[in-house]
Amino acid sequence: MKRLRLDRWTGQLLLARPGASPASTPRAVLRPAVAAPRCTAVRCQSTGAVSQIPGEVEDYHDGTDPIRFPPLEQLPPRATSLPSPTPVRALQSAKLAALHARLSLPERLPLQTLARALVDASADENPQFNNTNLAFVGQTLINYHVAEWLMCRYPRLPMDILYAAMKGYAGPTALHHVARSWGIEHAAAPGGEVDPGLLQFSMHKPGDAITGFGYRRAEIEGMKKYKWRHGMSSRVVFDDDFGEVVDTEQSKEELRARADTEYGNEYTRSLAEKAYATCARAVAGAIYAHAGRDAAKAFIRAHVLSRTLDLSRLFAFKKPTRELSLLCAREDFEPPVARLLSETGRLSRTPVFVVGIFSGRDKLGEAAGPSLEHARNKAAMNALKSWYLYSPGEAVRVPSDMLADDAKPWEPAYIDMGEIIGR
Amino acid sequence: MEAIATRPAVSCCRRAAFTGVRHKSTAARTRRALKIPPHPSFLNSSSSTSPTDHTTTDQIIYNPPSSAASVFHTPFKFLPKSDPRRRANLASELLAASTTIQYPSSSSSSSTTPSTSTQPQSDAASSSSAEANPFPSIEGAPRYRARHHLTKADIEEMRRLRAADPATNTVQALSARFQCSKLFVMMCCQAPPERKEQVRAELERARDRWGPRRAAARDERRARMGMLFNGEL
Repeated sequence: MKRLRLDRWTGQLLLARPGASPASTPRAVLRPAVAAPRCTAVRCQSTGAVSQIPGEVEDYHDGTDPIRFPPLEQLPPRATSLPSPTPVRALQSAKLAALHARLSLPERLPLQTLARALVDASADENPQFNNTNLAFVGQTLINYHVAEWLMCRYPRLPMDILYAAMKGYAGPTALHHVARSWGIEHAAAPGGEVDPGLLQFSMHKPGDAITGFGYRRAEIEGMKKYKWRHGMSSRVVFDDDFGEVVDTEQSKEELRARADTEYGNEYTRSLAEKAYATCARAVAGAIYAHAGRDAAKAFIRAHVLSRTLDLSRLFAFKKPTRELSLLCAREDFEPPVARLLSETGRLSRTPVFVVGIFSGRDKLGEAAGPSLEHARNKAAMNALKSWYLYSPGEAVRVPSDMLADDAKPWEPAYIDMGEIIGR
Repeated sequence: MEAIATRPAVSCCRRAAFTGVRHKSTAARTRRALKIPPHPSFLNSSSSTSPTDHTTTDQIIYNPPSSAASVFHTPFKFLPKSDPRRRANLASELLAASTTIQYPSSSSSSSTTPSTSTQPQSDAASSSSAEANPFPSIEGAPRYRARHHLTKADIEEMRRLRAADPATNTVQALSARFQCSKLFVMMCCQAPPERKEQVRAELERARDRWGPRRAAARDERRARMGMLFNGEL
């Protein structure tokens, strides 16, 4: 059996590792180099890097015969020493043009900007070449549109359900799926020689990208150590757009500790998810920057708000009957009474009771359950959900509709008076 | 059920024991045997009693039966004042007691004609709502309605009693004595820690007597309730 001459391969995989030494043995290629520094890519745009390592200015050469194994693509000089592909190469990338056409992006959005939206901050730390700025704009826009739509469409959602719904529409997991559904693929490792149509992020360093609002709490140590309660009011003030505690230090330390251990663990997956979500936000931000407000809004409506999220499954209750009687007391309804609508097999192994909750003669909710207590609680939960999920209509107007030139006068949206119980 | 008993195939087989075996060699007999008339509840009862009278009834039988209403359908009572759906339904709301569901006044009158069923409902709207509802309540009436009759001195007395002899003056005893709910008693006073410890030890002893099946059944019941509250059931 012949030994594989890995050092003779000229594939993208080997080229994509800028840290690999030219005379690397096959074993060294296969094994993830723990001791060797991962990111020795040189920024040729910055003067400091050039002056420090003048020997690496020449093109990357892995020792193969360039006549027998010609490179797949004619790279510009010094491409392999860059952390991300040069903007010039965006015009030659078939993947990038295909992505542009597939998303029906406006003509005014150039391919170079789209290529920049695919470079994560972990791949290229220079904010002039990565997508941090675009992602920040895009995230702000996406969160704004999702929040105003949720508030006008479901005005009675409690704050924690609203946060969960925000995360379900615009959270990193949802945007990760959106970006995947666009057909974006990622490079195995970032570098100047990879195709600009591939998403580039590094598995080995988290990258410094500011992508959210929120404050770092002063009491975060106590919250982590003693599980201090943080109520909804403080979450509104301090935490990020999804009501989650801002804790950048801890996540970074975890990532630093775990990233280099093995390939394909949950941290690398979360890195990939973050990179994909950032990319989706950056595309929205790029559309806003080049094509304007209306195009960005239409894009967000089509790709983020059009997704199906079953809001009725986000709810969890602790004492639904009590919450419902508090609601009825607050709204001056008659106190709720659970009534047995029908039943079958009371003495059998599998009875079914249908219980309705009435306030006066109006039925508020109904549910079937295997016991009276189950059915009663479920009916109260259904009644509460139908209160919380009240909607003024399908095509509800949102405040940003008024930015159009021919907008009709604004009718005030329905605003609920507040939550029934504190959470 | 009577249709199944009078199948021609069954009587056929019984007779066959005397005269010889009759096989179902063709599909015709099986088909005829399986042709069962529909259940009487599926037939229009009024038309069967008087075949000449072809009045259309508005009685609908749902088979399969209807599932629970969607929670995205807001009940009339929950619609805000400004909602156009409320304004549209307000006229019928004033005529009948409820626009969401029109219930018959008695549970046996499921097949009454609309002309007769509207009369008792308008009566029901005028009478008190608790009597008019035909369905039995499954929750007992609260023993003590909140009357806000207890003064500060009463609460002090309640606390003193509870602290003095928590074994006699239990929450239930105090609620019966002061004519208030148990929740209010628990809001007012707390048992001393040694009493809490005693109750906990008693509970622990009772729990030790449970076998594995009873313990597992209780665990399962609790887990099922938790799943119910999380919307998983």
